[in-house]
Formats: sequence, C-alpha cells, structure tokens
Amino acid sequence: MPAPGGPVAACCLVLVLGVISSCGCSTHAHRLQQPRQLFYSNQLDQAHEQFDKLSEKKRRSDSSVVQLDLAMVELVSGQPRACEQRLRDIRDRWDHLEQDSVLESTTSLLTDDQRKAYSGEDYEKLLVRVFLTLSSLMQDGVDAESYTLQTIEKTEDLREKAKTKWGDGALQSYSVPPIAPYMRGVLREATLSNYDDALRAYQATESLLPGAPFALADIERVTHSVHSNPGHGVVYVLSMIGRGPYKTEVAAEATSDALLIADRIVSAIGQYSVPPTLAPIKVPAIVSSPMPFDVIGVRVDGIPVSTTLPLTDLHSLAEQTFNAKLPEIMARAVARRVIKKGAVYVAKDQLNAAPIASLAMDGLGVAWEATESADTRCWGLLPREIQVLRLELPSGTHTLDLEPVVNDRPCSRPTPCTVRVEDARNTYVLGYWPDLQPIGQILVNNP
Amino acid sequence: MARSRTAYFGQISISKASGLCLGALALAGAALGCRGYQYGHLIKNDQPDMVGSHSAGSEVFNPLIDETVAKLLGTAEVASQHGLVSPDGVPIQRSVCFVGVENKSAEELGDFKDQIYQQIDTQINRSQAFRAISRRMVDAGLQETRLRPDALLVPDNMQLFCSVLQRDGQPVDYLLYATLTSGTTERNKSSQRDYLLTLELIDTHTGSYTKEQASVRKGYHSSYLGKAVNYNPFKAWK
Repeated sequence: MPAPGGPVAACCLVLVLGVISSCGCSTHAHRLQQPRQLFYSNQLDQAHEQFDKLSEKKRRSDSSVVQLDLAMVELVSGQPRACEQRLRDIRDRWDHLEQDSVLESTTSLLTDDQRKAYSGEDYEKLLVRVFLTLSSLMQDGVDAESYTLQTIEKTEDLREKAKTKWGDGALQSYSVPPIAPYMRGVLREATLSNYDDALRAYQATESLLPGAPFALADIERVTHSVHSNPGHGVVYVLSMIGRGPYKTEVAAEATSDALLIADRIVSAIGQYSVPPTLAPIKVPAIVSSPMPFDVIGVRVDGIPVSTTLPLTDLHSLAEQTFNAKLPEIMARAVARRVIKKGAVYVAKDQLNAAPIASLAMDGLGVAWEATESADTRCWGLLPREIQVLRLELPSGTHTLDLEPVVNDRPCSRPTPCTVRVEDARNTYVLGYWPDLQPIGQILVNNP
Repeated sequence: MARSRTAYFGQISISKASGLCLGALALAGAALGCRGYQYGHLIKNDQPDMVGSHSAGSEVFNPLIDETVAKLLGTAEVASQHGLVSPDGVPIQRSVCFVGVENKSAEELGDFKDQIYQQIDTQINRSQAFRAISRRMVDAGLQETRLRPDALLVPDNMQLFCSVLQRDGQPVDYLLYATLTSGTTERNKSSQRDYLLTLELIDTHTGSYTKEQASVRKGYHSSYLGKAVNYNPFKAWK
C-alpha cells in the first residue's frame, strides 16, 4: 500500500515537472535569427536596436550571447571601447558562472540544459579574450598585452579542468588560439627591447601553425634583425573572414535507439511500462558555413603587395573543444531521460494506475520528453577565420585597398582605407568579411 | 523467472524513492545561490609570498632581485671609493642605462618581466652610487638607432647609442643587463628548477664589466607528498 498522501504528492510532482518543462523549450536560435540576419546584411543600426531590445530582458538565460552579438555589432561599427566594456562584463560573468549551481543542474535534469545560466563554451571563453585583445588594439592598446596573457592563462586553466574531468585524452583538444601568442609577440616586438619575449611568442605560434611562413619570417626577424628599418613603421592587417561556428540541434540517433530498446526491456519486466523513447535525444553540434573566399589581397597605394594568411581557425577551435565535451552532454541527456521515465514510473506506482491511465501517463511522459531541446545558445556572429598580414611601410600616410581573393584572383571590389604609419610604431587594421563584402567599417588604429 | 523479477522490481520502496526525489529537490532549492563570489585581501609586508605551483612568481623573483642588486651596489660602493669625487669630496653618481631584462629561462615571465625591470630600476636609482636613466629615454634611444639591446655591446653600436642619449642630456657611464636563466632537474613526477638572475654592469668608457648573480631553487611536485619524499633530511641522493 502506498503511503497516505503519496499519490497526491506524486501527481503534483509530475504536474509541476510538466509545467516547468513546458517553460524550458525556448528557441534561442529563432529569437536571434532576425537581428543576426540584419547584421549580415550590413544593417548595423537596426541589428543593434533589436539586440538591444533582447538584452534588456536581463533574466533571459541567453542574455550573455545577446551581449556578445551586440559586442560584435559595436566592434565593426567602429565602437571598440563599447565592445571591450561589454566583453569584459561577459568575461567576468562567465568566470563567476563556472561554479556549479546545484539548483540549476537539478532543474536542467528535469527540463533541458537551457535552464542553466549560460557560462559559455570553452572556445567562447577563449575567444572573448581574443576579441578583448582586438578591441583594445583598435583603441590605445593599453590592455591588449594583458588580454593576450589572459587568453593563454585561460587555455591552461581549461586544459587542467578538461584533464580532470575527461582524462589525458582531452588535452589534445585544447590548444591556445594561435592569435594569442602571435599578438603577444607583435606587442613585445613593438617595444624594440623585448625581442626575447617576441621570439618565444612567435615560436609558440609556429608550433601551433607548423610551417606558417609569416611565423617563420617573424622568428627570423626577431632573432637577427629589428622591428623595422629607420623611417619605417609596421601595419598589421587583421581580417576576419567567413561566418563562424554556431550550434545547431541534431538528434543523437544511436543513443535514442539504444534508449528505446532499454525502456522496452524495462517495460517488459517492470510492473508498469515506461514512456517509450519516441522523441529523439537532441544534442547540439558545431557547424560553420564554408569560407566565402580564401584570403584578403592588399594593395598599398595602388600596388598589389601581398595577401593575409590564416592565423586562427575559429571553426576548428570550436569543434575540437566542443567534441571533448560532447560525451558529457550526451550523458546528461540520457540521465535526463532516465529521470523523466523514472518519475512517470513512480507516479504510476503511487496511483496504482489502471492500464488506460498508464497509457495516458506514458503519453504525458512522451510529451514531456519531447519538450527537450538542445542547448544551442552560442556567440553567433563570430568569423570563421582570422588572418593576418604584416607590412613594413615608410612613415607617412598610405592608402590600403583590401579585396577578397579566391584562387589568387580578386573576387570582389576592393575596400579602401587610409592608414598613418609612424616611425617604429605599429598600426592595426581590422575588417570583417562574413561574405564578399565587409560589414561596417574597416577599423584603423592610428598610433 | 520474469514474474519474480517483476515482483522484485515492484518491491522497491517507491514511497522512499519519491521521498528521496523530493528531498533532492529540496536540497537543490536550499542550495540556491551556492555560486560564491570572489574576494581579495591585502597582504602585509611581513607575510610570506604565495608560492606558485607551476612556475616562478614573487617568491622567487623578489629575493633574486633584492640579492643581486644589493651585491651589485655593494661592489659599486667599493669601486666608487676609488672613483670620481666632487670638489666637496662626495662621490659623483654614475649614470646607468638599464637596457632590459632578458628571459632565457624555461618559463614565460608573463606580466612579471616589466615588474622585474621596474624593481631593479627603482632600487638602483635609490642608491648613492648610481643614477638610472629613464626607461623612456632608453626606449627612445633604441627607437632612434634601431639597435637591438643585445647589439649594444658591439663597440660602434655602443658608441652610437651613447651619443644619442648624450645628445639628449643623458650621458651613459654604464649599461646594465639583467638575464634570467633556469636549470631544471627532473625526477619522476617531481622536478627542481634553479633560477638564476644575473646583472651585468658594463663600463661604456673602458668596456670592463661587473657581474653579480643570485639564485633560488624551487621544487615542483605533482602531489603534496612530493616535497616530503624528495627533500626530507634523511634523503641521500644517489
């Protein structure tokens, strides 16, 4: 005999869970689709406005990714200071959220992972620091070196955590984004007195990008030469190309099939049936659009000089770190299903459910399971790749024409920008080409 | 057989299980806001430095700097007794151009490099024997001449560099280089790293140099017992 009051408690429990789960099926990607589309169609003001409206709802579980998208809008709109401030807030918030919350973890087991406050994927944690570096460089650069160090330190921190959680095998999935040591080398070299630091940083870059010609040239220069010849300065063209990694929902077919067989077995041997696994187990997957072109060709004062070269592949970075975590996501999804099935079983037992009632409860259970959705919250406006070109130019004002290149041929009209080169100083140029045309402005940091 | 399994399955204390579920939920509720905050505190001067677990930090660099600079200044005091004096009989301060810190150790110095530079620079500037040239002047000289710091020891380069600073009202008597090196000894999962800071003071007039060093040894272990196992007083290395 069930304990008095037990059936009532169980029914209440199932009902409460049902209500909670119905709130857990938010569609993050759908909500952000329109402002992101506005961004890609270069309507930055409208995109900013829409993201802003979404970000005002601070209790939303995806508020931090809205902030990240806003930061990208601000960066390419020529507001690197606002971008930096926003990214700093996100960095600190995510650091705080790295601590576990039992309540959120429990709730997420009853609904889905989107009930947890979003603390960023590991690749996003690194890229926040990378973009902090870039946004700082586009101003006075005073904190840029600190951000490069923070990126390197964060990578080490994540590697340690990955090793603890998933074993030594996970370590190879975690490598520092090459742009971090590279920019550290650039900044140390620009001091004209710390060539040893620059050498270490460029060597670290070369170890991440074996044989990269620019890294080899950098190593050669800081070993035997100087930053630039007298009367010259250096221009770094940093191009962000393509639409970067984002998360999409996929069905884990094999796991769903296995679970379906398992719950059939339990139903066969148990007193009551458990809800069949009709709704597939949904997990996120990292995808990126193909690169729209290969590199950016650069003309200086009308003369073709060179092209940018790949420095950091954001898609690979995201995919590698995410795949290391995927078994855990999968395990949590399975645990969630088991808990839901268990809850329905307990409810049936408490109510001594008749066959028809049992069937109805199975239907409820299936519906409950079907409300799950994968956690596709992500920083959606990232580029796919960051490329770099170093140009040593005579002091003075120069016009750079930046044009997308495919198979060594320009494939779109060039975008001009004017740079002022100062003796022995670095000038940074940053642009974002998600497609053939750049978004917003080509940013130039004049020293 | 199936029946007995069913019976067994049915005998699981369902009311206890649901009680546990509710208990877990209550516990989760009680744990609301269990994410902590980060706190900071000031460290008093007499408190020891934190000891880095993976690399050197204050606990290594501070004593290294203090010892090498003290040795260098001590040597310079002796030398200055035989050096130039003002008409009042007071030794004339010699100007030192601190070129930089070179890191040849196995570790990335990170944000410590500029800290080391500033600490050495300040300590030298406080001495009676020396007057350090502003780092901004040194950087401007390097920028103008486009010389690498390690190229200043070539006589022609040294002359060019000193002449630029002299033109700017900063005659150079000495060039000062700081070099950090390390040596690592591995033993299974433990290692010992010896850090050595070397200061080289080069007389730009004569080319002679003074060199002082200090070292700190540090052990790294993958477990807390590593120190006891490797550095106990009964241990005899073989």
